Amino acid sequence: MAKLLVIAEHRDGKLSEGTLELCRIAKEVAPGLGLEPAAAVFAKDDALAKEVANYIPEVFSVADGAVELYTADGYSQAIKAVVESQDVKGVLLAHTYDGVDLAGKVAMAIDAGIVSNCNKAEVDGGKLVLTRNIYNGKLQETKSIKTDKFVVSFEKGAYDPAESGAGGAVTAVSVSFGDIRTKVKEVIETSAGGVDITNARVIVGGGRGLKDGDKFKEVVISLAQKLGGEYAGSRPVIDSGWIEASRQVGQSGKTVAPDLYLALGVSGAVQHVAGMKGSKCIVAVNKDPEAPIFNIATYGIVGDLFEVIPAFSAKL
Amino acid sequence: MKIVVCLKQVPDMESKFKIVDDKKVDEAQIAFKINDFDNYAVEAALQLKEKHGGEVVIVSVGPNRAAKDIRQAFAMGADWGIHVADDAILAGDSFVIANTLAKAVESIGGVDLIMTGVQSEDLQAGVTGVMVADLLNMPHCTNVVKIETADGKAYTLNRELEGGLNEVLELTGPAVLSIQSGINEPRYPTLPGIMKAKKKQLDVKTGADLGVSADSRVDFIKMFIPVADSMAEILEGAPEEVADKLVDKLKNVAKVI
Repeated sequence: MAKLLVIAEHRDGKLSEGTLELCRIAKEVAPGLGLEPAAAVFAKDDALAKEVANYIPEVFSVADGAVELYTADGYSQAIKAVVESQDVKGVLLAHTYDGVDLAGKVAMAIDAGIVSNCNKAEVDGGKLVLTRNIYNGKLQETKSIKTDKFVVSFEKGAYDPAESGAGGAVTAVSVSFGDIRTKVKEVIETSAGGVDITNARVIVGGGRGLKDGDKFKEVVISLAQKLGGEYAGSRPVIDSGWIEASRQVGQSGKTVAPDLYLALGVSGAVQHVAGMKGSKCIVAVNKDPEAPIFNIATYGIVGDLFEVIPAFSAKL
Repeated sequence: MKIVVCLKQVPDMESKFKIVDDKKVDEAQIAFKINDFDNYAVEAALQLKEKHGGEVVIVSVGPNRAAKDIRQAFAMGADWGIHVADDAILAGDSFVIANTLAKAVESIGGVDLIMTGVQSEDLQAGVTGVMVADLLNMPHCTNVVKIETADGKAYTLNRELEGGLNEVLELTGPAVLSIQSGINEPRYPTLPGIMKAKKKQLDVKTGADLGVSADSRVDFIKMFIPVADSMAEILEGAPEEVADKLVDKLKNVAKVI
C-alpha cells in the first residue's frame, strides 16, 4: 500500500516534539486516504529511526554523513529518494524553522501541491481537507490538494504527540547524494547572557500595542516591578529594540509558564502564543475585540491599555 | 549587484476582516500596506546596493492597488519594478505565484540575488520564496537574520532557529534569501525619494506576457471565522471598574497575586 510519510526533525541527537505530533496526524488520517503511516529519519546513524519506530509502524532510515545536519538540499534529495523507492503519496512536515526552509523545495522535488502551516487535517470522502490560519488567526481557511502527490506542513502544538508502543520496523534506504550547496559552519546562541525570565512567577508581556519604547517602560516595566515579576515582549518589541532579546517570549525566544501572564497590546500571533500558552492565568488587554489573544486568555479586557493598566496598577 | 526583491501588498492585520460569500474578505474596510517582512527585505537589498553598487528591482504579483506599495519601495530607494497584475494568476496557489515570480526574474536577466520576506503576514505560508529558488535552480536560505558578503557572491548568513539559536551557513550566489523581521531598521522614504518614485519605471505584465500558466495544484475550499475552543471571560466597564474587577479575579478567584 502507498505511504503517508512523516519527515522526522531533530537537533543534537534529540527528536523534536513536532515529529511525534506528525506521527499522530499520519496515523489518524492515513486509513481514510487508503495509505499506510510511515516516517523517514535522516541522520548519521539509525538510532533516532529506532526511536521513531516506537511511534509509527514503519520507519525508513537514511543513515549518511550527508544528512548529519539539516540542509534543504540534503533533506530534499533524501525525501525524493524515499518517495520514489517506497511508493509515498503524501509527505508531512513540521512548520518549524527547518520545515519552512524545506517544505517548498520538497513540493517542487516531487511535483506535489503543498498546503503549509496547517492546524487541522480531516478526511472527507477520501480527500484530505486542511485547515489553516489566515490574517493572523482572525480567520481560517480550508484547502485540498489536487495533485497525485501532496506535501502538508503543520503548526507546532496543533496536535498532541503520538503515544509510544507502535513497535515499528526500521528499513534502511540508501541515497546517492548530489550537490549540497549550503554549508553549515556552526550553531550559535544569540540571546546568551541577559536575564532568565523563565522562572518568574509573574510576567508582564507587551506587544506592538505599546507604541514605543518609552511607553513600554512606563506601562509594562513599571507594572512588572509593582507585581514583583519580570517583563517580556513579543517579537515586534524586540525587533524595534525596546527591550533586550533575552526577554523575547515565543517561538524564536523563550517559552514561559508563570502563574500569571499579562499580555498587553499583544495580538496573539501563533508565534508568541507558542511561548506563553502554558501560563496558569492569562490576562489580555487589547483594543481589538477580535484579537486572537482573547481565545487563549483567562480574563480579557477590551479597551485602551494606557487607561486600564494605570487604573489597575493604582489598586495593587 | 542586481538584486530582486519580491514584494507583496497585504492588509493591515488590525483591519476588520468581514467574509463575503465564504471565499473572500470585504476590502472596503481594509487598509493595505507592504508586507512587513518584505519591508526588511527591501532595506537589506538597499544596504547591499549601497555597499556593492548595482540596482534593486521590485517584483510583485498583485491587483492594481499594489502599485501604491511598489512605489513606496521605489521611494525607499529601489530602482524600478515589474508588477504582474492578472486576476487569474492572483487567484493561484503558491506554486502559481512562485512560477510567475521566477519567470519575472528570468525576464530581468543577470540577477545576482533574490530577496523575499520570510512569509506574507496575511497567508503565512512561507513557501513561495523557496519554490522560486528551486525553479531558478538556486540555493536558498530562509529566516535570514544576518547577511555578510565581501564580494556579493559568497555569503555567510545567519539562519534563525528556535529558542534564540542561529545557524551560521555559507552559500554562493545567485541565491534566494528569505528575510526575517528585525534584521535591520527599514528606512522611511524621504520627500525627494517620494518625488523620484513617481517617475521610476514600473512594467505592468500579465501571466501570458511571462508565459506562465494559472493552473493551481491546490483547491481553495472556503474561509470562515474560527470557533475558539475557549474564550476569555471578558471584564467590562470603565477603566476604574474593570481594574477593580481584575484585581478581584486575580486575588480571589485565580489567586495569583
